[in-house]
Amino acid sequence: MTTLQTSTPLAIEPLDLPARPAASPARAALRQFLRSPSGVIGLCLLIVLVLGTAVGPILYPVDPLDLVGGPFTPPSADAWLGTDYLGRDVLAGLIYGGRATLTVGAVAALITIAIGLTVGALSGFFGGAVDAILVKLTEFFQILPPLLFAMVLVTLFGQKLTTITLAIGAVSWTSAARLTRAEFMRLRNLDFVKAARTAGAGNAHLILRVLLPNALPPVIVSATLAIGVAILFEGGLSFLGLGDPNVMSWGLMLGQNRNYVLDAWWAVTFPGAAIFLAVLAISLVGDGINDAANPRLRRRT
Amino acid sequence: MTALQTVQSSDDSDFLLDVNDLVVHFETGKRRPFQGPSYVHAVDGVSFRVRRGTTFGIVGESGSGKSTTAQAIMRLVPVTSGQIVFHGRNILDLAGKPLREVRKQLQIVFQDPFSALNPRRRAGDQIREPLDLLNIGSRGERDERVRRLLGEVGLPPQAADLFPHQFSGGQRQRLCIARALAPEPDLIVCDEAVSALDVAIQAQILNLLKRLQRERGLTYIFISHDLSVIQQFCDEIAVMYLGKIVEQAPTAGIFVEPRHPYTWSLIAAAAPPGPIRDELKRRYLVKGDPPSPVDPAPGCRFAQRCPSATENCRIVLPQLDAIRPHHYVACHRVGELDPPAFDAAAMGNPVQQSM
Amino acid sequence: MGALLQVESLNVGLRNGAGVVVPVIENLSFEVHSGRTTALVGESGCGKSMTALAIMRLLPEDFVITGGRIVLEGEDILSLSPKRMRALRGNGMSMIFQEPMTALNPLFTVGDQIAEVLRWHQGLSASAAHAQAVEFLRAVQIPALEQRVNAYPHQLSGGMRQRVMIAMALAGRPKLLIADEPTTALDVTVQAQIFDLLAKLQQDTGTAVLLITHDLGAVAELADDVLVLYAGRCIESGASADLVGHPRHPYTRGLLGCVPHLKLGQRMPAVWSDLGEIAGMVPPLGARGADCAFLARCRDASDVCRSRPQPMLEPIETDHAVSCWRKSEIAA
Repeated sequence: MTTLQTSTPLAIEPLDLPARPAASPARAALRQFLRSPSGVIGLCLLIVLVLGTAVGPILYPVDPLDLVGGPFTPPSADAWLGTDYLGRDVLAGLIYGGRATLTVGAVAALITIAIGLTVGALSGFFGGAVDAILVKLTEFFQILPPLLFAMVLVTLFGQKLTTITLAIGAVSWTSAARLTRAEFMRLRNLDFVKAARTAGAGNAHLILRVLLPNALPPVIVSATLAIGVAILFEGGLSFLGLGDPNVMSWGLMLGQNRNYVLDAWWAVTFPGAAIFLAVLAISLVGDGINDAANPRLRRRT
Repeated sequence: MTALQTVQSSDDSDFLLDVNDLVVHFETGKRRPFQGPSYVHAVDGVSFRVRRGTTFGIVGESGSGKSTTAQAIMRLVPVTSGQIVFHGRNILDLAGKPLREVRKQLQIVFQDPFSALNPRRRAGDQIREPLDLLNIGSRGERDERVRRLLGEVGLPPQAADLFPHQFSGGQRQRLCIARALAPEPDLIVCDEAVSALDVAIQAQILNLLKRLQRERGLTYIFISHDLSVIQQFCDEIAVMYLGKIVEQAPTAGIFVEPRHPYTWSLIAAAAPPGPIRDELKRRYLVKGDPPSPVDPAPGCRFAQRCPSATENCRIVLPQLDAIRPHHYVACHRVGELDPPAFDAAAMGNPVQQSM
Repeated sequence: MGALLQVESLNVGLRNGAGVVVPVIENLSFEVHSGRTTALVGESGCGKSMTALAIMRLLPEDFVITGGRIVLEGEDILSLSPKRMRALRGNGMSMIFQEPMTALNPLFTVGDQIAEVLRWHQGLSASAAHAQAVEFLRAVQIPALEQRVNAYPHQLSGGMRQRVMIAMALAGRPKLLIADEPTTALDVTVQAQIFDLLAKLQQDTGTAVLLITHDLGAVAELADDVLVLYAGRCIESGASADLVGHPRHPYTRGLLGCVPHLKLGQRMPAVWSDLGEIAGMVPPLGARGADCAFLARCRDASDVCRSRPQPMLEPIETDHAVSCWRKSEIAA
């Protein structure tokens, strides 16, 4: 047994750091993001595109479904980017179609991440039978050819924008689920998770408050890229004639004018370029977020 | 176990923790065709009791099951069978709210201070976490307690606002200790708590732990592979090998008259440099590495490496029996083998003690 | 006899994000002789591993050698062509690492990995190299040799892997073997075996060994000469028995005082007495000024220490040098 000694006051260790306020990881990541050139360029591009579709109708008040002139009018003062095969204004189509396309992309990516996070988190956290079942489910969705499966869904449930969005979400969540599962499996064995458990944390607290924030950075990167993939998907479906004919979108413009590319290059090139720029911007932003999430990898490249 | 209970039954209230025939087996995941799964016998029938206010040391090499024992006591690994009686209740039966109540009194400090703290939460919030989760005190009281705890482990109050990466290894271990202290536990399990630290920092942390024990009447289970730290720090020591306790005795006894050949080997490897060490190593240091704890052979676990093993040792598993009050040994040949003689005159002046 | 390896006022810096070079190792000088073991001792962050990597010219990105010479058998390593340097690694000097699992290639059997070294450096045929590899594994006392030659690294225990690493390092018959914390990742009984093995192999081959360790017990057992590093500066050097027995620098004394020693055959007093401790911690990179690096933590510091820069490493007796302003007052 120990005996009591005269207790000397414990020297408090000076910390070298108080001069620098402690930045939260999120803020540090934001600072890192703003230092990455590709991220900043992508973000600017994306802001331009989003602003264009948001305030465009005020500056260029033309209904995209109205016939404003003859078919295949080349770019002119009346229709700045020309008209399509029905005589609809291409610029107006780009502005309104951008709203639809970008919304479909964002919402589909949200669905992707919501399903992916839930399935991956449950699977990685609980392991065992739960994991076995959820992995089988993930694999089932993985082996379906995504475009074909989405086409089936759209054909079955109708060519509406909501159906298209849900279909894209339903076929593309698997990679997010696998990513989340791997992160959870890595993290759940770390001591700080055990420490939280011994501190009295229940499963919900462990998943939502302890594991999720640590698993999130790579998932956010993949979510960003998922927006780009969803936009391409929407383009692909519309191109194949499975778009919503009542809502203008970039994919729809491409699909409907694709036969006339030699006669009216403007009707195809501009929506194509818009899709290209949107996906490029999103990829660049994803790249920047990736740099911010893994600052150690940044300097290697 | 029978020996344990008859000899030590003096006064049950002295004992804070009673581990009874604890078994933890894991499936390896490897399956051979046409055969059942193989099992890691991480902990294979371990019993011991920890007296209130003392430090119980568990020493052993990798695969000995010392860390699994610690994690089983913390309810962090599924237990195959056995009892862990804490404050008179078998905590293996508990779940939900009663288990969380017990967690207040039972805390752990891990080996690696880098993975033991959540990189995305501020230090103060992590120390507060047990208080928040276990609903201890009001908001203001919790903040006040966090500040007091930081002071007790030798960190300034501003430390609460920093993130783990802004601390050194030793400072992180202080944070971990503060977090373990937060719910005012009776028992703290230190699982290799100083092994990852530099020696100078290790001494700081050991002194801190001892001081906290003195001031708060804490009970420790101290797990380490370092025999000299164990000797310095613990009141009673259990030597584990491949999931079993092979020798258990008060610190005072085990370094005067160790009785198990494996203990001799550990002592030979840890003896301070000098002629005695050379002699001990020559005579008692075993060859090879600790074998794998997957489906161990019958008989004494140490028989494969034991220089004194007989045919009987390879077939029959020895029981942990008392050779005198409070000193238990699991060896068939304990009566025949003489313990090493430590020449006190020569040991008194090893090279490093002259300063 | 001249020294096999001479390191003369080596300076290593780390280029930080802003492009400023922060000193990591300052004015480090020492020699390693054939058949002898020199140990670099210190806590993490003292620059001991960086010294080893500088000698192998394997410093990580952003670390630069800013001054000094490293001479192996009359050849200045720092001015060698990459091609000559590659030839020298393995033949001239080789290294064993702390973590043998990551230092071995998981895709090849251990026999093949050793044989490959032999084929590079000695131009042996495949079969001759394989036969030699078996001999090297025998030399590091690997039991059940015939099976182990064809084993993959993951099939071996930690101790066996470290033996394989040693065999591989010795396969090029190097004149200098750098052992960076060779036993830290191993179990205690295995550590003792590896120490014995290294000592025996050194006796047989006459290799010079540079031992990097934080363990003063290992130093007393294995090394002939010791340098104690603190914050990238050598603060004490000397013959190991003398230095460990009679440390003169307050840091070395503190370091020895904070390690508990096993006491055998005597009953411990039942009263805990605090271990000696060195308050505070090693100053981080970039926060090391011109004054004595240990000043802030030193119990013996006086006004003399505060008013002057880092003292020179000066001999206090034959074979024992100390970098301390109060070295003559702090008696052995």
